[in-house]
Amino acid sequence: MKILVTGASGLLGSSVAAALASAGHTITTLQRRPSGVGGARDIAASITDAAAVAEAVAGQQAVVHLAAKVSMTGDPADFEAINIAGTRTLLSAAQDAGVSRFVHISSPSVAHAGDSLVGEGAGPADPEHARGEYARTKAHGELLALAADSADFRVLVLRPHLMWGPGDTQLTERVIDRARAGRMPVLGTGAALIDTLYIANAVDAIVAALTAVEHHHGEALVVTNGQPRPVGELMTQMALAGGARRPKLSVPVPAALAAGAVVEKVWDLVAEVEDTLTDRLPESAAARLRETLSDEPPLTRFLAEQLSTAHWFDQRRTREVLDWQPRVSIDEGLAELAAHYGGTAPEPGTALTADR
Amino acid sequence: MVRLPGLSPRLPARPAQTPGELPGWDEQWSRLVTVGTVDGERTFHVLDTLPALQAEGLAPAGTILALHGNPTWSYLWRHLAAASLDRARGGGPVWRVIAPDQLEMGFSERLAHTGLPTTHGPGFRRIAERVADFDAVATELLAESPTERTVTLGHDWGGVLSLTWAARNQDRIDAVVSLNTAVAQPEGTPIPAPLQAALAGPMLPLSTVRTDWFLRTTLALAQGSLSDEEKDAFRAPYRTAELRGGIGAFVADVPAVETHPSYAELQRLGDDIAGIDLPALLIWGPKDPVFLERFLRDLRHRLPQADIHRCEKASHLVSEDADVAGIVLDWLTAQFGAPSQAAGAVDATDAVGTADATGAAGPADNQRPATSQQTAAAAPMIFDALAERADDEAIASVDMSQRPPQSVSWRQLSSVVDGIAAGLQARGLAPGDRVSLLVTPGNNLTAAAYGVLKAGGTVVVADAGLGVAGMTRAIRSADPQWIIGELPGLTLARTAGWPGRRVSISPLPGPERLTLNVETSLTELIREGHAHLAAGEPLRTPAPADLAAVLFTSGSTGPAKGVRYTHAQLSALMDVLTRTFGMRPGAGLVAGFAPFALFGPGLGATSVTPDMSVTKPRTLTAAALADAIAAADCTMVFASPAAYTNVCATAAALTEAQRAACAGVELALSAGAPVPLSLMDQVAEIFPHAQIHSPYGMTEGLLLADIDRHDVAAAEAEGTARTGATSTDGFARTDGTADAGPGAQAARGVCVGTPIDGVRFALAPIDADGRSADELLTGTDAQQVLGEFVVSAAHIRDGYDRLWSTDQQAGRDTLDGQRWHRTNDIGHIDAAGRIWLEGRLQHIITTPAGPLGPGGIEALTDRDPAVLRSAAVGVGPTGTQALVLVLEPAAGSDPESGEPLAPGLAPLPVAQRLRAHVAAATGADVAAVLIAPSFPTDIRHNSKIDRSRLADWAAAVLGGEPIRTP
Repeated sequence: MKILVTGASGLLGSSVAAALASAGHTITTLQRRPSGVGGARDIAASITDAAAVAEAVAGQQAVVHLAAKVSMTGDPADFEAINIAGTRTLLSAAQDAGVSRFVHISSPSVAHAGDSLVGEGAGPADPEHARGEYARTKAHGELLALAADSADFRVLVLRPHLMWGPGDTQLTERVIDRARAGRMPVLGTGAALIDTLYIANAVDAIVAALTAVEHHHGEALVVTNGQPRPVGELMTQMALAGGARRPKLSVPVPAALAAGAVVEKVWDLVAEVEDTLTDRLPESAAARLRETLSDEPPLTRFLAEQLSTAHWFDQRRTREVLDWQPRVSIDEGLAELAAHYGGTAPEPGTALTADR
Repeated sequence: MVRLPGLSPRLPARPAQTPGELPGWDEQWSRLVTVGTVDGERTFHVLDTLPALQAEGLAPAGTILALHGNPTWSYLWRHLAAASLDRARGGGPVWRVIAPDQLEMGFSERLAHTGLPTTHGPGFRRIAERVADFDAVATELLAESPTERTVTLGHDWGGVLSLTWAARNQDRIDAVVSLNTAVAQPEGTPIPAPLQAALAGPMLPLSTVRTDWFLRTTLALAQGSLSDEEKDAFRAPYRTAELRGGIGAFVADVPAVETHPSYAELQRLGDDIAGIDLPALLIWGPKDPVFLERFLRDLRHRLPQADIHRCEKASHLVSEDADVAGIVLDWLTAQFGAPSQAAGAVDATDAVGTADATGAAGPADNQRPATSQQTAAAAPMIFDALAERADDEAIASVDMSQRPPQSVSWRQLSSVVDGIAAGLQARGLAPGDRVSLLVTPGNNLTAAAYGVLKAGGTVVVADAGLGVAGMTRAIRSADPQWIIGELPGLTLARTAGWPGRRVSISPLPGPERLTLNVETSLTELIREGHAHLAAGEPLRTPAPADLAAVLFTSGSTGPAKGVRYTHAQLSALMDVLTRTFGMRPGAGLVAGFAPFALFGPGLGATSVTPDMSVTKPRTLTAAALADAIAAADCTMVFASPAAYTNVCATAAALTEAQRAACAGVELALSAGAPVPLSLMDQVAEIFPHAQIHSPYGMTEGLLLADIDRHDVAAAEAEGTARTGATSTDGFARTDGTADAGPGAQAARGVCVGTPIDGVRFALAPIDADGRSADELLTGTDAQQVLGEFVVSAAHIRDGYDRLWSTDQQAGRDTLDGQRWHRTNDIGHIDAAGRIWLEGRLQHIITTPAGPLGPGGIEALTDRDPAVLRSAAVGVGPTGTQALVLVLEPAAGSDPESGEPLAPGLAPLPVAQRLRAHVAAATGADVAAVLIAPSFPTDIRHNSKIDRSRLADWAAAVLGGEPIRTP
């Protein structure tokens, strides 16, 4: 199959392109930087460049659309130009070019306003309530993609949730870097249950979607490992796998917060009330908090919100539609992480004896 | 006429209206119907599902005529309308619901009045006219689409009105249903306080019309079941005082005194209702402060044929607090099947055709149907053994808790029992009268119980372990005519206001007798009874099919349920005790476990009650047990695991003589909960020549399976494991061949052995959403499948008491024409036919990979050195739950890693260890391991973990909330 992969300079995009290429497909990529994918034809241009997009989709049978502006800071106009206008440009060019399969990569944040998610399915994208420019513009983009769905132009939306793995700079390396510096905080009780997705499984899911879209289209699917874990536990394991010591720094629980506020909300509040908060804390704790938060939010604010409340999903529909199962378990993923970064892999439990 | 400032006493007329958009209400249900009434044409707003049915092309086969009370309106029946339509759409019976708003109520027409309603004033509808209104609307609407079946349903005053109409139109209807209502105000009983307040003179218009106090008070009775939007909907037709005249008129028409204009009518209709000769169902919310238990009692007497379902957590608005719609529709199906079919067609089962299906049964299912279902007519009654020994001077019963120990001979016991039976009958005990026994185990309880049983009474036993609130709820629901009690019990009965005539054990001093309202004592009863017997008056004894006992469950999964046993079922249980454990004439047993202890005298075995506190089995010491054994050279010991634990802990204090007495024991039986092998081994050291048995059972079936110490050891030593895989039929299935090594077998739960002779085990497989299937598996088909155990035996319960729906659910199976009981216990049967418990049906964890029972996972988890005990719970939506382990730590720190074990997330090494073991043994993915600050357990056993509460707690913690106490 002739397939265009947009955003193939990122970890996920390049991995998808490489996987598809090695499966024998003819791959074109579209992004400003080289993809580095062997055998792929790179078109170095922005998704906002209509002419380049038209060139890229010409003759393609399928498109995997990963290109997006992901960062937390930046001009809202940039988000809109890439995540909304860029998607619109790509969709219409692909339709014009006779592309029949379109896999759109979105984010679970498009459907949620920051509250706790417990075993949820993929709700409809909701730009009005999505939190932050990224989620808002991605929600718009997803709605555009689904609106374009038809029998001739089959669209399937995947929303990978909290992807991690060797080489991931968004989450994995931030955690490892902070932990190595002794500045990786454990958030509150650290017990909030979260779903994550190991990179290799994300790649498999997207590849599977290219087949599944033939029969199931016009819907959005959240993709995870289906193994929810307490956030503190998983972050600790990532840190250990990354060669850091076990994080000891926990966000302080000062009296002011203990009176009622939920400690994890510290992360919600980072941007707005960091100053106010540090004023109220004992000096030593305030200093530590400032240090923790100073240079940049150690994790993005968006991520912090994701990590402070339960965020896990019902994967039954996803697995049914994609006919896909995660190949790498969390423990196996951690082992690969440890091999990559030279850290400690989780030990299998010692055998229990029949009698105490 | 009452004049009130700020409101003209004139109430204007207003035409009927439709309610418009309301939560849970379909505007398609609203109709305005004009009919001729006692004072001309009137228009009623009516909930009618006929248009909705017709829109779906469905023709009604039956009609439910429902009538609301005061101050509600047909919005009360929205759940019934929705549920009946759902079932009709789903291919079930098609019932049309017709529910008028009474005149001047809801959205029906308001008449003009020149004054506010008063108890004796004219102008407002009274009972007789309301019945006529109902008749007019019903007649008009039934004629539109005549149906084969018609039933009435009412609530509050709509209950009594609909029953009255039904009584006078029995040729037109097929059954009656009522929720909380009152047919008559029994003489001499005070009017309930809320009504008194509403009825008191000038208060009447103020509380009901001028203000919406009465309306708000009624809506506030809902047990948290009404949303603010729904309360608004109930208030919608009563927004202003001018619209509330009907509410006041209704209250004013309560005939509280003989001079009231409706008093005579109420007496008449009470008699008419007693003449209803149709199937009846009464659904009752006992928390109702207005329609109290005595009104249900009155209804029971008028409608003795009625099925009763008590919704223990429901109050006045019972159809808001409980699934009344589901119960009503289930009951109608049970009565009529699909009404379009010929009556009784659904009762025809192919029992004969399936009778040979058990041919390939394995050891778990090795009973011929005939064995367990034999008629017990020829079996001895529980009191026969005493009569046979009426001249025997040998010891029948020893009570070690008396000082000095009190021995009773067979002759004495037989005489006392006859005296009590005759005395009770002389005082008017009627067959089936219920007698609550508030007596601690020992000679007095034995005498009272056998006396009541022989007299044809029904003994009611509610364990003190239920607590005062639980006991009160249980005894109110059983509604005994008599209470026989010791002082503490009688005092409690007085304080808590339990019903029944009071009998003490020994004669009480005058003042105490007066205070506690005690009319006699067993001592006096025996004397009276003997006098009557001496005068040649015969003792009327019960028949095998008569009700013998109502035993209450422990209430660990909701309000305690009354379980009914007939004499025949008690006889069958005695037969099992003889065949399985050798309880027979001449044997001596120590009765430290109440349910079985009571059967000693009935079997001609000498019973010794050890010196211990009944409610605290842990108070039984080894010395006290040994003394009890020595008192009658006992060869059998019955006790609970908690009692044995303390016996083992105090065994060092035994003297040589006591040890010798223990050495004579041949059977030590531990009942009430599964026994760990380690405890069995310790018990075996005290009783070196005894077999150690642990039977499995429940209040509904006291002896179902049995295992002895050697089989427990064998089960633990073997190593087959569940794979956790879900097979193609969608049911979790165990791969019996996989060998996961030592210890893995614990993942299968707790082995309770094989079925007792005469008991059949079938299995209702569990689906992905945690529900057990309707179809039962037996024989090899039932092996290695996770399911709910469904048991059949001659000695299982007759049914649940006054819990029609629960009874229906638990007893719905008809396999091979036998009586079956759904145990609510889940687990599996292994290839050797052994029963493995894995928990309760409501505690199933529905993971995306399939359902899991908590028991197997907990048994595995409990082996970890960091764990004292554990609960495996599901967090998240049904079908996609995350498996979470909640631990009670064994120590302050993990013995392996040294990490502290504090409430919250378990330390990483502990979590990883447990996750790996559970995955290896079951294939299930443990999402999180939490340490709880404390474990909620039941009162009676202090061992049944409240998993539902722990699951809620785990969900909160894993949602990021702070750690609180579960």
